[in-house]
Amino acid sequence: MGTVTEEQVRGAQLGRLERLPWRRVILIVLSVLIVSIVTIGAYKTLTLPADARYSAAAWRDFIVLGLAQGSIYALIALGYTLVYGILRMINFAHGEVFMFGAFAAFFFSDAFEASGFLDSNSVSSMAILLVVAMLTSMGVAVLLERIAYRPLRNAPRLVPLITAIGASLFLQNTARGFFGAQSKGFGVPTALEGTWTIFGLTLERTQVVVFVTVIIAVAGLSLFIARTTTGKSMRAVAADSEIASLMGIHVDRVIVTTFAIGGLLAGVAAVLFSITFQSVNFSMGFRPGIAAFTAAVLGGIGSISGAALGGITIGLMQSLGPALILTGYNVPSPFQLKDAFTFLVLVLVLIFRPGGLLGSGEAEKV
Amino acid sequence: MIGGVARRSIVRGGLIGGVAAIYVALVGLYTKFADLELVGEQVTLGRVLIVAPALVAAYAVTRPRIVAGERRPVAFGPGVAAGAQTGAVTGAAFAAAVWFAYWFGIDRIREIFVSVTEPLIEFLTFGQGVPAGLPLLVGASVVGGAVGGFARTAPARVRDPVSIGVVAVLLLGLLQRIVPIVFVELGFEARWLYRSGSGLTLLGAALIFVVAAGASVAWDRGGERARDRVRKTVETAPAARLGLLVGILATLFVLPLLFGSVISEVLSQVMVYVLLGIGLNIVVGYAGLLDLGYVAFFAFGAYSTAVLTGAFLNTTTGAAEPALSADLNFYVAVWLVALLAAGVGLLIGAPVLRLRGDYLAIVTLGLGEIVSVITASRWAQPLIGGPQGMRGVTKAQIGGFNPQDHPQQFYYLALAFVLLALFVSWRLASSRIGRAWNAMREDEQVADAMGISIIKFKLLAFAMGGAIGSLGGALFAVNLGSLTPASFEILVSITALAVVILGGLGSLPGVVVGALVLIGLPGLLREFEEYRLLIYGGALVAIMVLRPQGLIPNVRRSRELEQEEVTQDAWAKEVTGEAEAIAAVVPGGTLGVEPEDLE
Repeated sequence: MGTVTEEQVRGAQLGRLERLPWRRVILIVLSVLIVSIVTIGAYKTLTLPADARYSAAAWRDFIVLGLAQGSIYALIALGYTLVYGILRMINFAHGEVFMFGAFAAFFFSDAFEASGFLDSNSVSSMAILLVVAMLTSMGVAVLLERIAYRPLRNAPRLVPLITAIGASLFLQNTARGFFGAQSKGFGVPTALEGTWTIFGLTLERTQVVVFVTVIIAVAGLSLFIARTTTGKSMRAVAADSEIASLMGIHVDRVIVTTFAIGGLLAGVAAVLFSITFQSVNFSMGFRPGIAAFTAAVLGGIGSISGAALGGITIGLMQSLGPALILTGYNVPSPFQLKDAFTFLVLVLVLIFRPGGLLGSGEAEKV
Repeated sequence: MIGGVARRSIVRGGLIGGVAAIYVALVGLYTKFADLELVGEQVTLGRVLIVAPALVAAYAVTRPRIVAGERRPVAFGPGVAAGAQTGAVTGAAFAAAVWFAYWFGIDRIREIFVSVTEPLIEFLTFGQGVPAGLPLLVGASVVGGAVGGFARTAPARVRDPVSIGVVAVLLLGLLQRIVPIVFVELGFEARWLYRSGSGLTLLGAALIFVVAAGASVAWDRGGERARDRVRKTVETAPAARLGLLVGILATLFVLPLLFGSVISEVLSQVMVYVLLGIGLNIVVGYAGLLDLGYVAFFAFGAYSTAVLTGAFLNTTTGAAEPALSADLNFYVAVWLVALLAAGVGLLIGAPVLRLRGDYLAIVTLGLGEIVSVITASRWAQPLIGGPQGMRGVTKAQIGGFNPQDHPQQFYYLALAFVLLALFVSWRLASSRIGRAWNAMREDEQVADAMGISIIKFKLLAFAMGGAIGSLGGALFAVNLGSLTPASFEILVSITALAVVILGGLGSLPGVVVGALVLIGLPGLLREFEEYRLLIYGGALVAIMVLRPQGLIPNVRRSRELEQEEVTQDAWAKEVTGEAEAIAAVVPGGTLGVEPEDLE
């Protein structure tokens, strides 16, 4: 065999991945490239001639819009994060759970609008829409768990993921068959049209409703997880489902509860999304679903505050990113590329910090 | 209890069947297929679908039960009775729903469920109207249930020929667009077999049934010995294998001559997806890296072929030269495209080397989506046409051979590509590289410790998969002659994945069969087009839950699996001698797949 050089010993100690400096070189080059592209783009945008520049009011609108969208993403992201925390699986069909809630709300709001109830009792009609959407999304989520995921509880991890992709496609096209392929206009009560001025800030009324509802929902969820027995058992199952079941926790029931809570939150998000964009269709769940998943990963999947933070970040990035970075490079219609921003963030987070912003550095499963 | 089937199980199964029937009605399948005649005027696909939920429910309800490690099949008579009762429950639930819809008001329901219409109700009540037709609906379900019970519990010597005969009749009925054409091309009269522009004649159906059932009986009677001899000859004698190969190739070669241009076009689409499937199979099936962004390679192949061969950009005023154009011959460009795609594979692979499992899947999904978003954006307009796309992609002409204008000639071009990719993939799988991928898929750490360079082989898998996928894109570009970003969405990745998974991960014949089923059947039956994605989604879920190894599993892997079952569960075999019982008692054994297989 001959003598063993020092380098060989070190190589054996470090393992193969560590010995390859060029992989790190690629990553470093990549990050330098990204940082410089972003900085130069932002600089160029901000130093545009005054007539081509965005006004301060425009930037404020971008930020408010980003916050509103981001808080909706945060609600959907909670569904991903809760399920991932407990089952270590990506519920790819969660966007469709959200979509079904939006359809349920649409049919009620349509009927209310026809009877005039939507405008005469806007508060109670919004409350009814919320409840209907929450119950529908919850039902879809629970059914999904029962039919598609439960039989695969002990299967290898990619099997449930592929199933979830199939379920997503199936649910999307079910909605298409049930409700038709065309988009439907979602009516908003007249009380929510127009703007409110709060602390000198002029905000769309729907945006105010979105912020308030999301804050209530996230606070409620955090309290539920932290204070109730069910919340405690959810945390226990997330930590170690086998031990939890030995401690007398009904694991299957906790999993169903988790899906149900994720569905409830998706239902809330569906109503908020519908009053913001005022349109529902069968494929509306896919892009927000991916954006929300990205938010969950960005914040650190499994962490509730991480999902909220990630959602807001993604929302801001989608509304600010194209304007701030791409305008400087003279890219035509920069907002066409806003989804590319979401995915780019997703890819970069997973490459550089798979544990997410609030996660534990390196995710163990990665 | 009815012959070992609990009443509760009958009611439950029947109700699930009823819900399934209501689902089929609401999603619009009945209205769509009401008039697709399979045999005569009476047997339409819609009517088969009326019977199907009860049949499937009864088939599931009368399954053998496992009691204390012992498999207890349901007896024939009670099985049919239990099946019929299940069908009755299904039919009653369905009829109740139809009656409710009628009572509540069709128009009011249609405001939500767009498929609920007067014709639907008329179809479901066999044209008799609501109170009068409902017993017929229940009756149909009872018959369906009894057939389901029969299919599960009848003795094999009766059941097999009958079910093979029925399946053959239905299949040939469904293939009513192809088979008559083949007959005409071969110079035979098809009128006695198919009614013009419609399904089988009664005589034809009876004849097919008799032939198929007879063949099944003969195959059965022929005995083990004859079958063994055939198998052994094929396996051992090189001449026989060569003959088989030549036979298959010759068949593939004459197919378009038999089928004419319409079917050649469908076959060409199938070939494009076979290529995508072969490429994705290397990444997912061999190396175990779930890639959800495979559309990136497809798009890269198509667009770079277009750019390299000098296609035009679509503009509002007509056509314009792209910012960059090489004006190469297609047969030169395609190799360059494959090479470049392999490079792209390396570029995508390098940063995600450290990721595994579902994280890798999501990152690749993100990369794929970035590609489709950019393809469709105005930013990409000067180079590849952006939202308006490109046209005038090369005709790939050599003398009189012009694949773009003649589907039959395109078939040969596609066939050449597919055979090349199949050969490369097959040789790779049984080479050192293929075994390294296998080892890596089973356990990365162990493979690493065994001296397999994980990095090298992961990158190689991405590069090979990318190159073959880009060939699919190049073919696609040549076939259509024009490109729009709508063809390069995530659905391509998911369809390719469905093709690979339906056929069986890591199995090349599986890829071909998967593409034939998922792309070929919907292509032949235009009516299916609207429900293609619904069926893909359902198929992905059903396969993962019921048969994760796919239709044609990878041989090596299923052998490993059998080995393990034999050693692990010898005791169960001693008790019953039934393979099914083993599968049922072993936790996870029903999945029939190694837990590590997909990790």
